[in-house]
Amino acid sequence: MMNPTIELNELEVQLGGRTILHGLTGTLKSRAIGLLGPNGAGKSTLINTLLGFHSPGKGSARVLGLDSHTNGKALRSLVGYMPENDAFISKMSGVRFVRYMAEISGLPPAQAMERAHEAFVYVGLGEARYRPVGTYSLGMKQLAKLAQAIAHGPKLLILDEPTNGMDPPARKRLIELIREIREASDICLLLSSHLLRDVEETCDEVLILRNGQIASICNLVEERRANRKFLELETTGAAPTFTTTLEGLGCECAVFANGRIKVVMPDRVEIREVFKVAASEGVQIRRMNHRRDSLEDIFLNAMEQTGVADGRI
Amino acid sequence: MAVYKRRYAAYTGSLTPEWSRFFVLTRYAFAELFKSRFFVILLILSLVPVLLFAFYIFIANNQTVQLLLPTGPAGLFAVDVRYFTIIMIVQTQAAFLLNCWVGPVLIAGDLTNGAMPLFLSRPFSRADYVLGKLTVLGLLLSGVTWVPILLLFGLQSGLARNGWIWTHLWMVVPILFCSAIWILMLSLLSLAVSAWVRLRIVATGVIFITFFIPTGLGEMFNAIMGTYWGRLLNFTDMFRLILAQGFGELTATGLMGPIRNEIPVPAAWGVLISVCLLSLVILNARLRAREAVSG
Repeated sequence: MMNPTIELNELEVQLGGRTILHGLTGTLKSRAIGLLGPNGAGKSTLINTLLGFHSPGKGSARVLGLDSHTNGKALRSLVGYMPENDAFISKMSGVRFVRYMAEISGLPPAQAMERAHEAFVYVGLGEARYRPVGTYSLGMKQLAKLAQAIAHGPKLLILDEPTNGMDPPARKRLIELIREIREASDICLLLSSHLLRDVEETCDEVLILRNGQIASICNLVEERRANRKFLELETTGAAPTFTTTLEGLGCECAVFANGRIKVVMPDRVEIREVFKVAASEGVQIRRMNHRRDSLEDIFLNAMEQTGVADGRI
Repeated sequence: MAVYKRRYAAYTGSLTPEWSRFFVLTRYAFAELFKSRFFVILLILSLVPVLLFAFYIFIANNQTVQLLLPTGPAGLFAVDVRYFTIIMIVQTQAAFLLNCWVGPVLIAGDLTNGAMPLFLSRPFSRADYVLGKLTVLGLLLSGVTWVPILLLFGLQSGLARNGWIWTHLWMVVPILFCSAIWILMLSLLSLAVSAWVRLRIVATGVIFITFFIPTGLGEMFNAIMGTYWGRLLNFTDMFRLILAQGFGELTATGLMGPIRNEIPVPAAWGVLISVCLLSLVILNARLRAREAVSG
């Protein structure tokens, strides 16, 4: 059986005598996991703990089945990490920098050189690979960081705010790359971002943190699947027989004031059958909405449930 | 991840042994160093005395050349314990100067643009990192201290014959030990400075200050308190004391003035080892603080 990507068990981390992560417990099984939360929620601390930089005060964190504290080195051999801040050696050429990092990950020099060239061409910096990294634009530096994170072929790619400071086309290209990497191999992904759209476009599951606690763990794939079958109707002339007939088809109905009805349809029922029932019962459907819980709704919900109504991130 | 396909693919090839990866840092550091013309000139200059010493040894062992020289009696050219003590002093000072140029850039370059998390997010520890950088200085300073001095020792042994090597073989031990403690202290000290000061010129200055300010403070302490224990802060003096003891020259006059032996030699060892440990603690604290990205 495959190990969950991330398992947190009562994880508590203290830094400078202050508790930053409070007893996080949860299992994330998807291959692409988004990490969301307001500033100071503990996202970077969690990433640093998963990388073994911080020791848990209590509990444990396991990544790909390896304990981050006791198996730190083995775990880091499976990881490619793209940090949020500037992280490069300015005087080195791009390709040399990536080769250097690949060699430290254990690739022999010849293979490291080959992979460095491939990674650079792959992220779209082929033409700039012989320039010193210090001369790159912000977007190019982000891509160079991605290249060094993938050159050694990790099993888990940790991306901390990968699209920070990128213009829209560059951001789009980077998101496409991340999706491509995800789909082209069995690599797992942990993406921390302030941009909900980045997470929504690349991840299957999200972990939302607030004040060092888990506000929500949400499986976006299941959420999307469930939303496709959830209808909100505004009707006039709806008699109880309308909902009874729908329930006869296997739907679940909840009736509210002013003819508003919420319907959860089973997979086999299509929307046109709702229209047919309405026509046969003489019910006018004035408005019909699919429920479209975006990640933003999920995030705001999680924030509201934990007491932050304005959803600042 | 073939270039022509432009598709991502995981790496499935072989990996180098984990214990050997610290040497990647050493290789890359040397490659960067040898790009600098100034470094190459400095390295050559620090080896020039070795050539002069070798020339002296050649003359000392060549009666014909000595007769041709207008310097007088042949006994003027003596290659003995004292001669090797002088070589040690000259070459360790050359090592100090080389270290002042090379040491400051070794870690500062990685810290300036936050590269530390990239190193340490791999199967690579802080100890591996320090070992990799320490090896750079270790190899380099060995190349101007004990390696050429042992070559000179070999040259003298070869030219002198008559069992000279067997009567002087014990000198190999102080050559190696004294070089080792000096190299270790210089390397750790300059790495610790490199971890704190980003600008090379400032870092070089700080290394000089680390040697000269405590010496001045020590002398002040001696003058005020009427004691000699302030000399413990003079690291160069402490090294010379160890060197003099190693070569059995405690009462001799060295190249840089008389060797004063009021301080017990174990105390001198204690000072140099303490500087090493303190540098290591400072280095570890600095690297630990910079390994994780805060946010």
